[in-house]
Amino acid sequence: MLRSVFTKVIHDQWRILIAWAVFAGLWPALYIALYPSIGAVEEMQSLLDSMPPAIRQLFASSDLDISTPEGYLNIEMFSFVAPLLVMAYTVIAGGGATAGEEDKGTLDLLLANPIRRWRVLAEKSLAFLLGTAVIGLGMWLGLAAGALGAGVEVNLGLVGQAIVSALLLGLAFGSFAMAIGALTGQRWLAAGLALATSVAAFFLNGLGSLVDWLDAWRPVSPFYHYIANDPLVHGLDPVHAGVLVAGTLAWFAVAVVAFERRDLRR
Amino acid sequence: MAEPIIRADKLTKYYGRARGVIELDLEVQPGEVFGFLGPNGAGKTTTIRTLLDFIRPTAGRATIFGLDAHRDSLAIRRRIGYLPGELTLYESLSGRELLSYFAHLRGMLRDGRGEVLAERLDCDLGREIRTLSHGNRQKLGLIQALMADPELAILDEPTLGLDPLVQLEFFKIVDEIRAAGRTVFVSSHNLPEVERICDRVGIIREGRLLAVETVAGLKERALRRLELRFAEPVPVDLLAGVPGVRDLVVDGANLTCVVVGPVDPVLRTALRHEIEDVISHEPGLEEVFMAFYGGQAVGEAPDAA
Repeated sequence: MLRSVFTKVIHDQWRILIAWAVFAGLWPALYIALYPSIGAVEEMQSLLDSMPPAIRQLFASSDLDISTPEGYLNIEMFSFVAPLLVMAYTVIAGGGATAGEEDKGTLDLLLANPIRRWRVLAEKSLAFLLGTAVIGLGMWLGLAAGALGAGVEVNLGLVGQAIVSALLLGLAFGSFAMAIGALTGQRWLAAGLALATSVAAFFLNGLGSLVDWLDAWRPVSPFYHYIANDPLVHGLDPVHAGVLVAGTLAWFAVAVVAFERRDLRR
Repeated sequence: MAEPIIRADKLTKYYGRARGVIELDLEVQPGEVFGFLGPNGAGKTTTIRTLLDFIRPTAGRATIFGLDAHRDSLAIRRRIGYLPGELTLYESLSGRELLSYFAHLRGMLRDGRGEVLAERLDCDLGREIRTLSHGNRQKLGLIQALMADPELAILDEPTLGLDPLVQLEFFKIVDEIRAAGRTVFVSSHNLPEVERICDRVGIIREGRLLAVETVAGLKERALRRLELRFAEPVPVDLLAGVPGVRDLVVDGANLTCVVVGPVDPVLRTALRHEIEDVISHEPGLEEVFMAFYGGQAVGEAPDAA
């Protein structure tokens, strides 16, 4: 099992990862299973319609519409629960990639072995990629099981694409956290900064659609690329997905360059 | 002379404005056990971490096996074993898992050397590291540094936390490594330890290398405080005129003095009277520095030799 930095991460994480994937699956399973029993759909819809537009924009990609399962899922799941479930993993894992070992003091020991610094980042990133995929799979399985069990008709292919969009969003912020960790050697600073940035990005995207001067800035927010296209209805947009992938790779590159050049703390 | 295993050339490291090491010149020859002696904070660990490319020098350079410590770090690290000072291990692994992990990262053949070392140092590899005492962790650190039979072992404070019996076994292992023609670079703030295992010693203080001495030379110049208790009162001038004796105080049957260099002539002279007890204080680091730089107070170390 402990044959490489990659397998060491799997060895360390698999239990918590499985638990998190199960949790990430139970959440949408419960919500979708409850959908048919929300009797007063119309009353709830009128309540939603009466909400101020700012609130409505924050919590939904498209119109607030719980008369369809997709609209309901967008509100309950994809507006921020799904990103949060993914980012809780990617940001903490990414922030701790090298900074965790640096904080704890094991990095000297690891790097005394004949392994290049960039390779430590690359192998850990691949392991985190796998971990992120496992969480996505858990979500999809949970949602599919809930929908089938409760007889709710949703397009599971589109659900999968919306989940992939959430995973890409999570990877972008995880990669950002990894870069901050590689720059500073401080894991909680890295994770904290990434989470704070994600909150700011969430509001930038949500409020940007309401405030004229802010609207032009929405594409800066990864959340815009995550959901502006409404992947649950229209599928994954290659351009928006590509932006998230490019951002992930760019921050990875920053992490590599920073980590290769820096004096390591002990 | 053969190419030195380690060569530092005006190696200088500042952390911002804080001093790490200053213009360090050093050569460690193949097959020797070299001691790097100095108090905590003198710059020993800074030097070592520069050799391993964890930190980069502000000025100057270091080579190992004739290779550049930064540019050729990967090739260098294939051939060295390293024990960090202030060792931290992976808490959730067992000792055996830790050794297996590093053996894989090194692409090492599993030749059982790790197990042999563990047995000799009396280290239980089956236990999870989080349950191990400090001494047992240190043993694991030593084992992972030495299990690949490296051409050069760099050990930062290797005996920290080891109990005396394990220390003795470690000294034996170092003797064997030397006999096999391997090179060892040991940092320590413990003079007796360095005297026991090293061929040569570099003395570092406040970031500067003060001197490089053979252990024999060091002993010759070392100060040693001696207390003798005789069966009956002895003449006040008993040791007067014996070479190397200083600060002589005779109080009835009790005698104390400081001896510079060999104690043999002192003891021979004293043995004219019946001795009940001999207490010899190992010279501390401060005394060694005093021996090298007689009158100079702490903090006024001269420029690097």
